[in-house]
Amino acid sequence: MSPTVGAFWYVFLTGAAVTLWISWLALLLGGLVGVIVGMMRISKWVALRWLAVAYTEVFRSIPPLVLFFGCFYGLSYALQLDLSPFAAATVALTATASALMSEVVRAGIESVTHGQWQAAYSSGMRYDQVFRYVVWPQAIRVMLPPSIGVYISTLKDSSLASIIGYVELTKSGLLIRETTGISFEVLLIIAVMYFVINYSISLVGASLERKFKYVH
Amino acid sequence: MSTEPASPVLRIEGLVKRYGAHVVIDGVDLDVVPGQVVVIVGPSGTGKSTLLRCVNGLEDIQGGRITFEDQPVLARSRTVHAIRRRIGMIFQSFNLYPHLTALENVMLAPVKVLGESAKEVEERARGLFRKVRLEHRAHAFPSQLSGGEQQRVAIARALAMNPHLLMFDEPTSALDPETVGDVLTVMEELALEGRTMLVVTHEIGFARHVGDRMIFMDGGKIVEDSPPEEMIANPRNLRTQQFLGSILHH
Repeated sequence: MSPTVGAFWYVFLTGAAVTLWISWLALLLGGLVGVIVGMMRISKWVALRWLAVAYTEVFRSIPPLVLFFGCFYGLSYALQLDLSPFAAATVALTATASALMSEVVRAGIESVTHGQWQAAYSSGMRYDQVFRYVVWPQAIRVMLPPSIGVYISTLKDSSLASIIGYVELTKSGLLIRETTGISFEVLLIIAVMYFVINYSISLVGASLERKFKYVH
Repeated sequence: MSTEPASPVLRIEGLVKRYGAHVVIDGVDLDVVPGQVVVIVGPSGTGKSTLLRCVNGLEDIQGGRITFEDQPVLARSRTVHAIRRRIGMIFQSFNLYPHLTALENVMLAPVKVLGESAKEVEERARGLFRKVRLEHRAHAFPSQLSGGEQQRVAIARALAMNPHLLMFDEPTSALDPETVGDVLTVMEELALEGRTMLVVTHEIGFARHVGDRMIFMDGGKIVEDSPPEEMIANPRNLRTQQFLGSILHH
């Protein structure tokens, strides 16, 4: 590493921390919305199911970059709603993550066999109890691996926030490149940092999966 | 063997169950009195399992009436949960909860549904594991148990709720032949205790030795209803003869 680029180590690390923070936030919010939408998908009311399908299909189909522009410029133009780059990026990332998570949640719940519902209902449980004690604990084990995938993809999507001026890891690198005029080395550094972060998440995910196995 | 007239714990009157235009149960009447062991036999697809699921309100019905301990069984009603707590159900495919140990499987409903203290329930559960001869397997997960062991845990799970009626839906059909006997032995002991049981099975030997009544169902109807010895020795109906003939001679 050349001393010129090395002098900016603190900026790189701050950028990485911001990337981790905003993608965590988006995963958390996306998970929350995803659970709600995923539960709507299996609701007995047709209107709710429809709404859920529409939500998932819309936000799964629009590229994250378009959502970033839409949240930052579009909302400002159409509704005079001026979001900060941080808010716009969070909303855009959450929209994509929640659409993906709703599918993960639905698949997780549907992976629990009909017999499990029958056994739980036969013991006198109400719907909410069946969910809480029997279906959810099994669904969550199925949901874990794809959720890790959603987190990694959300973290990568967060680099697009650079385009609306949000200073996360990619934007930090671009700023350093502008200041120093050094391109290749800077891009290599951010690439390695993304790899280290995402590979660590993969490893943590794999160990969680092992921990969640029924038999230890 | 109760012969004096007792008021039925379960009364089914004119039950009709349809899926769309397909009639699965076509006018079934059945009373079960306390202590009685009723064995239901018949070809597959004649509504035997559906009948059991109607009794605990897992299926809605299109006609007739089901009354359990003087309360109407209505699927999707608020009262159905309270009725199900008093009916134990044992499934062909066991349906143990795979994320819980055998002991936790047995304890879940008494603790979470009845709100009993975990300590008392555990004591009772330990007793039930002795009863089904699995005290050494209480901390195993279902995936570590053989089919016969899983089914005996499922029986313990049903008993933990102190049910007034036990329903068995082909409890040995998914088992390896060598473990069938363990499950049937436990069921026979339950019958000897005076439990009220409704058993759908192909085990004619069990029906003969343990059953008070044998019911032959075909085409969604009860074709014959008599003491097991009598039905096995002298089936009155032609279809009963054919069915018993086919399963006794192979």
